[in-house]
Amino acid sequence: MSGAGAGARRAQAFRLPGRHGYAVEFSPYLPGRLACAAAQYYGIAGCGTLAVLEQNEAGICLFRSFDWNDGLFDVTWSENNEHVLVTSSGDGSLQIWDTAKPTGPLQVYKEHTQEVYSVDWSQTRGEQLVVSGSWDQTAKLWDPTVGRSLCTFKGHEGIIYSTIWSPHIPGCFASASGDQTLRIWDVKTPGVKVVIPGHEAEILSCDWCKYDENVLVTGAVDCSLKGWDLRNVRQPLFNLIGHTYAVRRVKFSPFHATLLASCSYDFTVRFWDFSKPNPLLETVEHHTEFTCGLDLSLHNHGQVADCAWDELVKSYTPSCLAAPV
Amino acid sequence: MQRVTVVLGHLAARPAGGPALRAAQCGGVATAPGHDGEQDDVVVVHGRRTPIAKAKRGGFKDTTPDELLSAVMTAVLTDVSLSPEKVGDICVGNVLQPGAGAFTARISQFLSGIPETVPISCVNRQCSSGLQAVINIAGGIRNGSYDIGLACGVETMSLRNVDTPGDVSSRMMDNSKARDCLIPMGMTSENVAERFGISRKKQDDFAMASQQKAARAQQMGLFKNEIIPVRTTVKDDQGNQKTITVLQDEGIRPSTTLEGLAKLKPAFKENGSTTAGNSSQVSDGAAAVLLAKRSKATQLGLPVLGVLKSYAVVGVPPDVMGIGPAYAIPVALEKAGLTVNDIDIYEINEAFASQVVYCVEKLGIPKEKVNPLGGAIALGHPLGCTGARQVVTLLNELKRRGKRAYGVVSMCIGTGMGAAAVFEYPGK
Repeated sequence: MSGAGAGARRAQAFRLPGRHGYAVEFSPYLPGRLACAAAQYYGIAGCGTLAVLEQNEAGICLFRSFDWNDGLFDVTWSENNEHVLVTSSGDGSLQIWDTAKPTGPLQVYKEHTQEVYSVDWSQTRGEQLVVSGSWDQTAKLWDPTVGRSLCTFKGHEGIIYSTIWSPHIPGCFASASGDQTLRIWDVKTPGVKVVIPGHEAEILSCDWCKYDENVLVTGAVDCSLKGWDLRNVRQPLFNLIGHTYAVRRVKFSPFHATLLASCSYDFTVRFWDFSKPNPLLETVEHHTEFTCGLDLSLHNHGQVADCAWDELVKSYTPSCLAAPV
Repeated sequence: MQRVTVVLGHLAARPAGGPALRAAQCGGVATAPGHDGEQDDVVVVHGRRTPIAKAKRGGFKDTTPDELLSAVMTAVLTDVSLSPEKVGDICVGNVLQPGAGAFTARISQFLSGIPETVPISCVNRQCSSGLQAVINIAGGIRNGSYDIGLACGVETMSLRNVDTPGDVSSRMMDNSKARDCLIPMGMTSENVAERFGISRKKQDDFAMASQQKAARAQQMGLFKNEIIPVRTTVKDDQGNQKTITVLQDEGIRPSTTLEGLAKLKPAFKENGSTTAGNSSQVSDGAAAVLLAKRSKATQLGLPVLGVLKSYAVVGVPPDVMGIGPAYAIPVALEKAGLTVNDIDIYEINEAFASQVVYCVEKLGIPKEKVNPLGGAIALGHPLGCTGARQVVTLLNELKRRGKRAYGVVSMCIGTGMGAAAVFEYPGK
């Protein structure tokens, strides 16, 4: 992939010694900046680290790193301050970090009673809200300027692995759970809006299509990705099969309505176009452990970052995305 | 701790669908909803077996094979309340009856109340006959000949001896492979032990473990869901007939000790290492397994005890026929898209400790996954029955454990072959 085509970027890697990557996110402000949430001892025990990385022509270097005394499992960038990030931790807490303040978190919110596996900053205009999902089976809504949660969403009957804001509908988020359902919530109403029994297995990840407000994707322990149209949830919109172990994270492309990426316990990252008869575009095998974190850059078309339990964060442009738009 | 459990839970599931379908799916072909091929799976609905009795001196020494077959055929159909005319075909594995017991089988069908409209056939692939019957029925289901079939295995070694190979050409002596087919099984075991360095100690240790595992299983009542007690008659020395009910396996010896095993003389060869204690026992028994297409099972409200994922039979040199499982298991696993580590239980027939130890070591299978309820060394090896008996034992044990898991049934085959089948227990 190196040097092929004008849009292609050289693959780069960064090692976090003794840390196993759980999530990686590109900054919405700075094209070369990305954050990685990681944990010691594969996240089973030990500490966590938030690594803020800076990428340039020479490679990836560490810009700032923050430690926490339990594993960090997810990270999200603030949408109103380029220096601020929120992480979620194994001890049930959320941390707000400022890269300008290297000493420690600005705030710690400890309300969840078990591991927090997901945190997401809202995407719609005029809202600055954070949603978190936990093994305690609840999702919580936060205003980062308020010292406690605004609301708790109950209903899931299993671990919540993923909570993601709709990029289109204000106050609406989706959650994926070990109870085999995908649920859609509206922060203005306490109960769940839609329950989709999506897989006959734990659902580990979900994401919204950036071009169609009704479309979502789920990734599950049954190794498949399924697409859902909220106007008719009785049947999946698509079913993508190819991973050989559970799908750990799935994301829609910010540039194409039908393109998505997924990473898995099978060590691979796969790129899909669900509109094509052969939807699997490419399989990237460059990790040697469970691949848990994945993001697609908003700034550079085709740029992808991923991280795995092999201590590596990688940034690259897969060949299927290398061609100019 | 919980985090380990949660992550392990994520690794438990593998892609759904049959092996052939898997290969296509690996290419990333999107499947239309509801067309994932699952409905075409061949599933095991139910299985039962008789106790296994010691040949020539046990509870079935005067019982004919049609009686044993009839007991298991009746039990399987009654247990799931399936009316017999719904069975599309029956296949019986048998080794020692003339023509693999084609007459015996048809007679036992009538003794079981299965109407004449249901056809039946027999198959003899030596020690894998019981498994081959399962595969023949599965094949008939897979190619659409019928949706429900009954696979059985039976052997009455009390009444039939392993004797002459039949009519063979004198030219056989000019061909070394052909000649090797006549080597007695015990000598093939000695060949395996010698050629691959399987010591007497290893064989005796394995035999001891088989006895202990079987004794423990019997004591804990782990066979009670699979065994159907058989009421029959035995004659004593004076020719007096007595009615008895055979309730459990007769070959298990909880009192077996390593010292006792070590004292036994080699049975086949001077200075050999294969003894009566580390070889399979000569026995009588029968087993039956009901198979169906998944869609049919669902339609009739039949349970799903297991799913047949793959099957392979391969050839190996006749003079070391015991190594067959070491070659068949990898092929079956590959067809199922699985690896050695994905399997929870291996039911490998213990024709001889020498050959099982060789196969287990060669494949790197953890000891605790091999024959957790003991094998033919303790339970006995009624030749044609064994394969079907192993399927019944495997799926019952996986069911008892409760979680979704894979298991393998495998055995070596006289004249140089190995067979292996992969089954999935779908979980509670």
